[in-house]
Amino acid sequence: MKYILFLLVSLNLFAVDASVKIEKDVEHRTRIALVDGSTITNHNFFKILQSDLKISGHFLADKTHHKGDISSSYLLPVLKSKEYVLKYSLAQKSGTKLIIRLLKASDGTEVFKKSYAIPSKNKMPFLAHKAVSDINTVLKYPDVSWMNRYVIYARYTTPGKSEIVLADYTFNYKKSIIKGGLNLFPKWADKDQKSFYYSSYNGLRPILYKMNIYTGQKVKMATSEGMLVCSDVRKDGKKLLLTMAPEGQADIYELDVSSKSTKRVTKFNGIDVNGKYLDDESSIVFVSDRLGYANVFKKGLHASAVSQVVYHGRNNNAVDAHGSKIVYASRESQKSFGANTFNIYLTSSKSTSARPLTTTGTNQFPKLSVDGNVILYIKHRGNGSSVGYINLESQQSLLFPISGRKVQSIDW
Amino acid sequence: MMKKSMIITVMLWAMLFTGCSQKAPNLDVEEGTNNISDSTEIAGDTVAIDENKYGNENSANTDGVNGTQYNSSSDGFQSIYFGFGDYGISSSMENHITTNTNVVNSTNSTIKIEGNCDEFGTDEYNYALGLKRAKAVKESISLQGVPESKMVIISYGESNPTCTRPTDSCYEKNRRVDLRLVK
Repeated sequence: MKYILFLLVSLNLFAVDASVKIEKDVEHRTRIALVDGSTITNHNFFKILQSDLKISGHFLADKTHHKGDISSSYLLPVLKSKEYVLKYSLAQKSGTKLIIRLLKASDGTEVFKKSYAIPSKNKMPFLAHKAVSDINTVLKYPDVSWMNRYVIYARYTTPGKSEIVLADYTFNYKKSIIKGGLNLFPKWADKDQKSFYYSSYNGLRPILYKMNIYTGQKVKMATSEGMLVCSDVRKDGKKLLLTMAPEGQADIYELDVSSKSTKRVTKFNGIDVNGKYLDDESSIVFVSDRLGYANVFKKGLHASAVSQVVYHGRNNNAVDAHGSKIVYASRESQKSFGANTFNIYLTSSKSTSARPLTTTGTNQFPKLSVDGNVILYIKHRGNGSSVGYINLESQQSLLFPISGRKVQSIDW
Repeated sequence: MMKKSMIITVMLWAMLFTGCSQKAPNLDVEEGTNNISDSTEIAGDTVAIDENKYGNENSANTDGVNGTQYNSSSDGFQSIYFGFGDYGISSSMENHITTNTNVVNSTNSTIKIEGNCDEFGTDEYNYALGLKRAKAVKESISLQGVPESKMVIISYGESNPTCTRPTDSCYEKNRRVDLRLVK
């Protein structure tokens, strides 16, 4: 009798514990309301603030666009049920100005106040991101400064032509930085995002350039017959992983940025592309068709042995890595033509198990954030595309529509 | 014995209601790790480069010299077409290789061999696939006695479609290698 009693209690313990954990995650997020004190209401700015608060994983933002005087500490009774109220005022007479006040909802005590001003009106979304990022810091929540960064991407405009574009993570801000010609595969060169690498296909041989986004200064890094892509940059910026084909055979090379010398990393008669530094950056993960179809493999930079990373799917043609985390896109349907289902999976260099992060649509270009906590990806569905974000810790996810032609490659 | 069972049961229920503690947030937040420092970096004006001076060298030429519907090469060459994901020359394309070899032998110019793909899959993989196709064509022509130094290969991945409709016949037309003289 006592054993049955013990068994029943144990089973109940595990079942209830799982549901309690989920409820606790929701409850743990800080309830916050937004009060707009701007002279001219900007509903788009309000939505950007809401998206920032949501994707941070730390806030449960009220959906109502409250209006109120920013300088007063009076709070509507309906707001008292929140933990914090963020009052803000946005002005765009000349440039963009934002003032924020973070108040405790219980008694209106001011916790934080800051003002921001930039000469550009178009860069307004970045002020929202900066405000939410600062609030996270003030409340001592884990860092979300990734949302302040530029996203850089290339898209085709007409056959044989492309443009490279800077954007904020929501794609509300977009600016073409190189247009005309065929310039592809942009990749940030440094963590401060002052320069980026890209491949120019305007001549007979592709050339890899490094360009400063503020001065436009361009430095030629490498050239190769056939194909040339910078797929990753070592954290210290001193080495690059390239896919190049000096003898017409695409393989992964490592380039020393100061000497411009290259060292071949993979040797295979088929296709080896998309190399990414892994773990302590002494090894790489990459895509290869050495099994007859695109799949994900890893190898040491100075070793010859190659090992398989993914053991499911018949077309895993994109991969990214941060430390030991590996994300990849896997084709789930078998159509030879027409749209297929691709899903994003998360695995690790330390394990063979993988879990799906998406379930429907064509999801590609998985990219981990600079802190490894958020995944960017592109979702194609019907005639539209969206950029998606998944916060791995909080499980929050967001989609933002992208207009125009589909993305060719992206980095952030 | 019954009392002991009750005590154990009560202890188990106590653990159940206590639950597992939430992991405390990381309080060691490093400030200033983003790229906006009170508006100085984000205020910086980024450049806007226009490379439209580059002409339509890379644009597919659908008005093939031999007038066939399926030919985006120029200068008398015939495009070579491939199956989905393939980079081997099929037997149906061998007469195109022969035609192209004759054109190469009739000129002193360098030949540019351009590999292309349909739009499926990521572009980096497609660029490599396009290059394999271009290499296969180059090797087939060189087997006919043409020096490899006379030919340059490049891959345009999915950047240069001859057809942009989402149809199977369109995808077939894009999975190709084009040849043209370097001028």
